[in-house]
Amino acid sequence: MTTLKIENLHVNVAGKEILKGVNLAVNTGEMHAIMGPNGTGKSTLSQTIMGHPAYEVTAGHIYLDGEDLLEQGVDERARAGLFLAMQYPSEIQGVTNAEFMRAAINARRPEDDQIGIMDFITQLDEKREFLSMSEEMADRYLNEGFSGGEKKRNEILQMMMVKPKIAILDEIDSGLDIDALKVVSRGVNSMRSPEFGTLMITHYQRLLDYIVPDYVHVMMGGKIVKTGGAEMAKKLEAEGYASLRDELGLNVSLTDEDVNEYVMGD
Amino acid sequence: MVKQANENLPMPVFEKVRYGPWRLENMSPSQSVDESKDLQENFLGLKVIGSTTTHHQLSADLVEAGVLLMNIKQAYQDYPELVKNLVGKVIERQSERLAANNYDQFNTGFFLYIPANVQIEPVMQVTLNQIADGQGDFIARVLVYVGENSQVKLLQRMRTVGNHASKASVVVEVLAQRGSRLTYANIDGFGPHTSAYINRQADILANAKVDWINASFNDGNTITRLASHVDGEGSVSHAKVATFSNRKQVQGFITEIQNTGRHSLGHIFQRGVILNSSALVFNGIGRIIKGAKGSDAQQESRVLMLSRRGRGEANPLLLIDENDVTAGHAASVGRVDEQQLYYLMSRGLPEKVARKLVIRGFIGEILSQMPTNRAQQDLIDAIERKLQYERV
Repeated sequence: MTTLKIENLHVNVAGKEILKGVNLAVNTGEMHAIMGPNGTGKSTLSQTIMGHPAYEVTAGHIYLDGEDLLEQGVDERARAGLFLAMQYPSEIQGVTNAEFMRAAINARRPEDDQIGIMDFITQLDEKREFLSMSEEMADRYLNEGFSGGEKKRNEILQMMMVKPKIAILDEIDSGLDIDALKVVSRGVNSMRSPEFGTLMITHYQRLLDYIVPDYVHVMMGGKIVKTGGAEMAKKLEAEGYASLRDELGLNVSLTDEDVNEYVMGD
Repeated sequence: MVKQANENLPMPVFEKVRYGPWRLENMSPSQSVDESKDLQENFLGLKVIGSTTTHHQLSADLVEAGVLLMNIKQAYQDYPELVKNLVGKVIERQSERLAANNYDQFNTGFFLYIPANVQIEPVMQVTLNQIADGQGDFIARVLVYVGENSQVKLLQRMRTVGNHASKASVVVEVLAQRGSRLTYANIDGFGPHTSAYINRQADILANAKVDWINASFNDGNTITRLASHVDGEGSVSHAKVATFSNRKQVQGFITEIQNTGRHSLGHIFQRGVILNSSALVFNGIGRIIKGAKGSDAQQESRVLMLSRRGRGEANPLLLIDENDVTAGHAASVGRVDEQQLYYLMSRGLPEKVARKLVIRGFIGEILSQMPTNRAQQDLIDAIERKLQYERV
């Protein structure tokens, strides 16, 4: 079993404290979801775990099986078994998807045991078809000219190809129509195993109908304020974050605080 | 026009590039002959080494259609009238001293003539190789004529065989007749001991389109001028340039599009990478002549600075003498895109590998438009070669 463990994590972005003491443990074999209102630090958490240079850890630790990830570079973390499906994947012209994924796989293998081209193509074709992606995508340039939905699928395809131990999915559902959401969910569900754990970040409960989590965490004001099961997400969807905040007696202001009032007033 | 003594003609102006010490005005054409006979080539096109043709292949249907492709010397013998009508037509002999010297001295190059209404599907490839054996310089003239409504993709390569110090002068004249389409892609790869003057220009008549895909990967000091004259109603030209400067190389570029025709379009796109202690100056010039109503001039030049010791500039210039036009420019000198680097590394790619791919992506627009897979791979290899002296 592999464990991603986050202890009392404090993070600054551009001098402003965004994370204010996050504690969380994700084991392989478990599906976790983090929900929370806009601007509460969910994406900051995912980028900090991966090691984005713009996020400054001011206190706390991130461990993967006891190894201190904060001592490691982005690429080392990835090779140690982490994966981040990004909200806004970069586009790189002149580098094909196939070349990139092959390089990613080979970066995890010793130099005298690189993946053969046929092996690679067989795996790629199988997973590509599983995600209903066209054959030509392999030769297209990395994310270049991809629609929002294609980019998300491509993130999941990469995840399936490199087989991480712990995958963080940052709003993998945003901008997806219902069919695409089903395809992406199918990809994530296919990874379910005792050797794979995931941390999904989402605004919407909808995603969790398709990828049913074992744990749901609610983040507010830079902290995890409540943890429960899949049923908690449904309750949040119905009642909104403000009511949970008030129930917990937290002093946190929410960006879109008044939205539920309008919805309910309709 | 009265023929002026070449010494009295002005040298071409490349702002902020001191190329005087290269002595480009002082060349003598090499007479060296290529001795290698092991060439088994199979491509549509022509290969000239030194001034000798080593490969020539044109399909029967093209020959029948009247397409001509040959060494410039042979063209002078076989089609003297055609050649004399074209040479100096796009780049006037007296426009500047190096152009005049080339006019007087060239003894290699090629001639491509496509009559009206011929569509050529496969990519036509021409290689011109310089022999640098210490016995003279490489002085080449290229003439490309694309007849009315004809269409062709041309891939031109140049490189240096041998490693003696020498010079190269290459003048390329393109005449695109009404309604024609030409993609002129080139991979320039002169060696580190060759100082080069390269001048490519096109006259583009009404509704014709010429796109330059200029991969300038010379290793020696180089001044390169690339110009399109979009002369007719609806003429179009894109001038795309990618270059890497490395070691102590100095390179100056002028990329210019002049809009004379109404509703003509000229877009300049330049990408330059600076390594080691090299220097690179991009000058982009968009010129709209009075009367070119409804025309469009855009340019974007970006320099990627990978070394503190390097020097780079991107100077945009828009000269507009007409009100009813659209025009714009963007220029920047920057560093490796951190977001792209992060993305690639988040998949486990070591920084060195990720960085190479990001740098490749910087010229991806030019790379992706190389007309053959082989040419794309050659360009990727050329980038690797340029990056090998980099210490990250």
